[in-house]
Amino acid sequence: MSVINDIRDGLATNLATINGLRTASELIDNPSPPIALVAIDSVEYDQAYQNGLTLYNFTISVIVGRVAERTAQRKLDLYMAPTGDQSVKAGVESDRTLSGACQDLRVVSSGSVGSIQVNDQTYLAAEFTVTVYA
Amino acid sequence: MAKFVATGTKVTLNSSDISSSCARAELVINAAEVTTTDFGSAGWTEVIGGLKSGSVSLDFHADFGAGAVSTLFEDLVGTIGTVVLIAANGTAASATTPAYTATVLVNSFTPIAGAVGDLSTFSVTFPTTGAVSYATA
Repeated sequence: MSVINDIRDGLATNLATINGLRTASELIDNPSPPIALVAIDSVEYDQAYQNGLTLYNFTISVIVGRVAERTAQRKLDLYMAPTGDQSVKAGVESDRTLSGACQDLRVVSSGSVGSIQVNDQTYLAAEFTVTVYA
Repeated sequence: MAKFVATGTKVTLNSSDISSSCARAELVINAAEVTTTDFGSAGWTEVIGGLKSGSVSLDFHADFGAGAVSTLFEDLVGTIGTVVLIAANGTAASATTPAYTATVLVNSFTPIAGAVGDLSTFSVTFPTTGAVSYATA
């Protein structure tokens, strides 16, 4: 297992603490909303001497439901809140060391709210940016 | 040897390897300018080297774990410590990875620093005391 894989799995595990939200530690072909998909975005090496610290930037895409569903936007409001049982930030940061896979992490921002096409359906989705220190 | 990018400078304090928590290291060695200008200087100033001095500056990522860098500094303020820096990404002293040893006065420590959302870091600058030695083996 690589460090990135361990972090990816840890993020998915933390996301799974959010009631009703499916999770996938990798991008999948047929996501069934509401679902959170974890993807690596970039890696910033050499933050300390001798590989002492590396920054991993992840994007978590949360696909909420069909755009036409009245409840989709309400669900997204709860997912994007900074705190609360449905908060993605609170869920991801519920174990900030990912059971030892990293030193710390932070959900930095959320945004890119919009519609995406998945299997001929238009879904409402948002992205969360996560910085992981490992 | 060639030019190099600093990614693996080895930093020890009192024999504890703190390299993996260190993001920047700098050792400066100076000699005081002693003026010898006189009427025979033909209108120019003249100087000779005086007393040598030095300083060690280090930037760290804060970590309060057992034996970690922040914990290491907790009880050192006001004491004399030994800093060893091995240049050019070396792990041992050699002709191309020289080791500099400086005895320093740990005269400050900033245990808490950093803005909200930033990685918690701290920086220190210590004056050297006595000679800074240089080893290639």
